[in-house]
Amino acid sequence: MKFWPVVIFFAFVFNVQAQLSDFENINFEKADAIAKKYKGEELHNLNQLVEKLTEHLNSDVERFRAIYMWVCTNISNDYSLYSKNTRKRNRYLNDPVLLETWNAEFKKEIFKQLVENKQTICTGYAYLVKEMAQIADIECEIVHGYGKTSTMNVDNITAPNHSWNAVKINNKWYLCDPTWASGLIDPDTFQFKFDFKDGLFLPSPELFVMNHYPLDKKWMLIETNQPTFEMFLQAPLIYNRAYANLSDHIFPLEMHNIIKKDVPIAFKYKLAKSIDSSNVMLMIDDGHQTIETKPLKSQLSDSYLTIEYQFEKRGFYDVHLVINNDLISTYTFRVKG
Amino acid sequence: MKTLVQSAVLKNVHLKMLLTIFCFALFNLNSVMAQTNPTASAANEITVKGLVINEDGPLPGVNILLKGTKSGTVTDMDGTFTFPVKLKPNDVLIFQYIGYTTQEITIKTDSSFLKVELSPDLVEILGALDVDKPYKSKRKKNN
Repeated sequence: MKFWPVVIFFAFVFNVQAQLSDFENINFEKADAIAKKYKGEELHNLNQLVEKLTEHLNSDVERFRAIYMWVCTNISNDYSLYSKNTRKRNRYLNDPVLLETWNAEFKKEIFKQLVENKQTICTGYAYLVKEMAQIADIECEIVHGYGKTSTMNVDNITAPNHSWNAVKINNKWYLCDPTWASGLIDPDTFQFKFDFKDGLFLPSPELFVMNHYPLDKKWMLIETNQPTFEMFLQAPLIYNRAYANLSDHIFPLEMHNIIKKDVPIAFKYKLAKSIDSSNVMLMIDDGHQTIETKPLKSQLSDSYLTIEYQFEKRGFYDVHLVINNDLISTYTFRVKG
Repeated sequence: MKTLVQSAVLKNVHLKMLLTIFCFALFNLNSVMAQTNPTASAANEITVKGLVINEDGPLPGVNILLKGTKSGTVTDMDGTFTFPVKLKPNDVLIFQYIGYTTQEITIKTDSSFLKVELSPDLVEILGALDVDKPYKSKRKKNN
């Protein structure tokens, strides 16, 4: 009897890093091609759509991939719905009765928009992925929580603002974010643009939690050393391109840092794929201008990337990490004399 | 030789006939039993019709699927449907509509007309948007 806890413990330990890499031998080209073939299909008969998407695929991970890919490439994000909901939810933040009434009313509008115009906001994406997965007999849940992006006030996130999915494949839970994988909102015109990002499909939970903090902590899918909400708020900001390049962000632990000039600062990451260290750049904004520079040192070993930088002048700097032209993460440094 | 072969063929024919009669008997026995035991056979298949409503009235466009199969239909403009294949007791129909809790209904011998009310899913509607604009610190003049 004492044998089992040991086995379970080791099962967790060895599961920590494995995510999309669990399916390294599976090529998603077929699932993606099927999703593409049915681009433009309507949502009126979901059973039929799911059948078309999944009938020629042999594994649950491929079936789920076809559903996820179809949702990400066919459902657009509606900014006006988003801003209306945010406004109302903030207004009713401290009034649960009014908030519930608003939610009930808005829910109808959301689902009508989704079925008729294939437009929604993130709960709609997560909801549709869940419904379609269930039709395909794949266990899937909606996860609500806090999402962190560059244009929100990252120091002051008070209310839950985002939804994503957890999915059970071969008896193990994984995460995905169909909303953020689908595309981007232009911050100036508020127009949505489809731009599929692969990294948000079954990402490493350690990286995912940096910008997705679930209300129910079990959906972090992290067994040991779970970050607290405080740590999430203080963590560096990562961008969705980070998922294509990193599997874990190790340090700095915080976004805002105070340091002395001429003291080296170290950054460390676990890589998701091999990169050329000459493609690692820092974009540094001192308030007047932004310069792009190479780190003072960069070192690659065993899929870890370590870089160093030091400031020669006092000041306040926004520092962005860029790998292969992908914007990865942001930190600020107050440099004292 | 010839008669031997013939009698063998004849025997074979007899055997086949016997088997056929036996099968018929079994089948008949079965359908007789089915009158008392609703789960047993084809004699009890029923055509299922019905109406699907929500809190406001009839609901068109509801997906209905026979669990474990690919047979299904969709409710019409009046929220009504006729399931395209005959169903047996203990078959399960799945009623699914975006925004409503999926319902499973087990068919009984008297399920020829189903009235199904779907209730709204309890979901909080949230939405954060993704942008790829780099973060920019808000700076005071003296920074």
